[in-house]
Amino acid sequence: MRDFLREHRWAVVVSVLLHGLLVAGLVVATLNPHRTPPPVQPLPIDATVVDSQVLHAAQRAQSDQEAARARAAADAQAAAAAKAAEEARAAEEAKAAEQAKAAEQAKEAEQAKEAEEAKAAEQAKEAEQANEAEQAKAAAQAKAAEHAKADAARAAAAEQQRLIDARKAADAKQAAEARQAAEAKQAADAKRAADERARADREAELRKQLADEEHRSAVESGPLRDSYIARLRNKIQSVWIKPPSASVGLDCLVEVTQIPGGEVTGARVTQCNGDAAARQSIENAVYRASPLPDPPDPALFERNFVFRFKPNE
Amino acid sequence: MNRRISCLAAIGLMLFCSRTWAELVVEITKGQSDAIPIAIVPFSSPEAAAASFDVAQLVSDDLARSGRFKSTDRRDMIEQPHTGAGISFDDWRRLNNDYIVVGQVQPLGQDRFNITFELYNILNHQRLLGYQISANKPGLRLASHQVADMVFEKILGIRGAFATRVAYISVLGSLPHKDYRLIVADADGENPHVVMQSGEPLMSPAWSPDGQSLAYVSFENRLPSVYVQTLKTGERQRVSARAGVNQAPAWSPDGKKLALTLSTRDGNLDIYVLDLTTQALTRITDDPGIDTEPQWSKDGQSLYFTSDRAGGPQIYRIGTQSGDKPRRLTFQGSYNARPRLSPDESQLAFVTQEDGGYRIATMDLRGRGDVQVLTKGHFDVSPSYAPNGAEIIYASRDRGRGVLALVSADGRVQERLVSSEGELQEPAWAPF
Repeated sequence: MRDFLREHRWAVVVSVLLHGLLVAGLVVATLNPHRTPPPVQPLPIDATVVDSQVLHAAQRAQSDQEAARARAAADAQAAAAAKAAEEARAAEEAKAAEQAKAAEQAKEAEQAKEAEEAKAAEQAKEAEQANEAEQAKAAAQAKAAEHAKADAARAAAAEQQRLIDARKAADAKQAAEARQAAEAKQAADAKRAADERARADREAELRKQLADEEHRSAVESGPLRDSYIARLRNKIQSVWIKPPSASVGLDCLVEVTQIPGGEVTGARVTQCNGDAAARQSIENAVYRASPLPDPPDPALFERNFVFRFKPNE
Repeated sequence: MNRRISCLAAIGLMLFCSRTWAELVVEITKGQSDAIPIAIVPFSSPEAAAASFDVAQLVSDDLARSGRFKSTDRRDMIEQPHTGAGISFDDWRRLNNDYIVVGQVQPLGQDRFNITFELYNILNHQRLLGYQISANKPGLRLASHQVADMVFEKILGIRGAFATRVAYISVLGSLPHKDYRLIVADADGENPHVVMQSGEPLMSPAWSPDGQSLAYVSFENRLPSVYVQTLKTGERQRVSARAGVNQAPAWSPDGKKLALTLSTRDGNLDIYVLDLTTQALTRITDDPGIDTEPQWSKDGQSLYFTSDRAGGPQIYRIGTQSGDKPRRLTFQGSYNARPRLSPDESQLAFVTQEDGGYRIATMDLRGRGDVQVLTKGHFDVSPSYAPNGAEIIYASRDRGRGVLALVSADGRVQERLVSSEGELQEPAWAPF
């Protein structure tokens, strides 16, 4: 063992150095601080429905903000990674320098102890080996830096992905909420529209009734009604055969029911101060007048009305 | 929005309310005096009855003669049902009938018959009458008049007078052999019976209120005397044969007195009341003019009569209590005579002179005294009311011959009675 160490002392030193470097690099990489991702603020859903333009603008602003935030985070991460790598390198160099110093001292002690052993050749070889170590060290450093950089890049990428996922999720949630809101709005709109329609229908119906009534009252109070009454009167008077008892003083009401077309379906004397013959003559007159004349305006048609028999002669 | 709706609703309600009181009421102030269309379907009858008598025809004639009905011609009858169950109301209505009478005559043993009849209102299908009358063969005529009376009363609300009688004077032959007869016949002029026959004039028949007796003037002793004859027995009694004129007897409503026209010694005619039981005579009028043709008011408290005290004949009324002053009733025209009161005392019928002819006129006693001339003949005289007041029978002339005629109390319908031979004069319609 001693012989082996003595024989490969430089190789062992280089190996130890290299391992130390590797451990240092790994420690640096492992000590890379774990950063929590920026908290994703859920987009508050306002119950008030706004215009889709406004909605889109807000959405756009939000995503812009998010992107900026993600970008800033990535930058900061990259900067931190670079700094860490620098520091790691510096620490490595310092350590290496120390180790090298220690090795120098040990070598000096060795040299002092074994001064005579192949001074020139050894010096040349020593220089060559130092050079080699130097090169290896540089390579290790470069490799470690590369590793650190790759890790940082991976972390950044993962973060990016996570951000993207988070945004996607937020977007999806937002979209779902927006859809829900839209659906709710649509339903509300539909209901409102239906209500409005129903109200409009009601109003239209009422308006129509009113118009009918107005028309009816217009014709009823107008000359058409007078004309209808005159027609009815003439028809009845032309067929009423007065019994001897029906003279001045007789006053009888007869309720008449007619169907469209004027056919009399009922005639009943209600109030009457006349005798049976007078009542009968009155009911007969109504039946004899069937079919009653058509009204000049259909609005004037009355299914039930009253004739008042009150002879003035 | 809500306010608008409630406003509309309020207006609608208002209109609705206004429509309720604006219910259509059509006032009828006039009617027609048209004849009521009625179908008297021939009664089913056994041969024996059918051969002698057509009940439906007589009923139909009676109703038509009253002027208030027009009977559907048998040839227009699509079917001839004999009971209510067989009536196709719509078919009869299509023939413009308001009423229909259906019936049957069934033999009821030897020489006896049952007349069954029903009256329906075609317009509302209502059964108004359903009766059965039993009669022997000669009685079928009277029974038929009774059917007509019931139909008439049911539809018009006034009692029919078809089953009543009239008395009149018939004059046959020519001078110097004239034959005077007092005849009582059915109201349609059929079935005449001679009650009194004389070679001397018979005049002024008057029915007692109970319809059992006739008072009349007879010249059988060459002087006018007033007789009262009981129809059933033929018994007659001379109740007034005073010197001078005895004429124009009129029964008091209680049948106990006669109003008469008597003359004083100087020939002045005045109205007197003779108590038939006591023979007491009360003078009612005392005027130098002619007062005659008395007629009692229903309460027996006053008399209507004709007087020429103002020049021409006019009609007056005077209370039967002594000292009452007569009141003149007619002022229109120069001749108004022979007053007769309608049974309900709403009208006075009399003879008036118009356009040179004598005509029957009426005066409204309840209103403003309006006068309506009912007839258009040249010699229409001697009016007498039917006991239901619906018609007036009077004497007229047709182609130079005296006939009897009817006019409805409103003048709308005139009808000539079937006339037996002779000059017919002075009809008097019997009470119910």
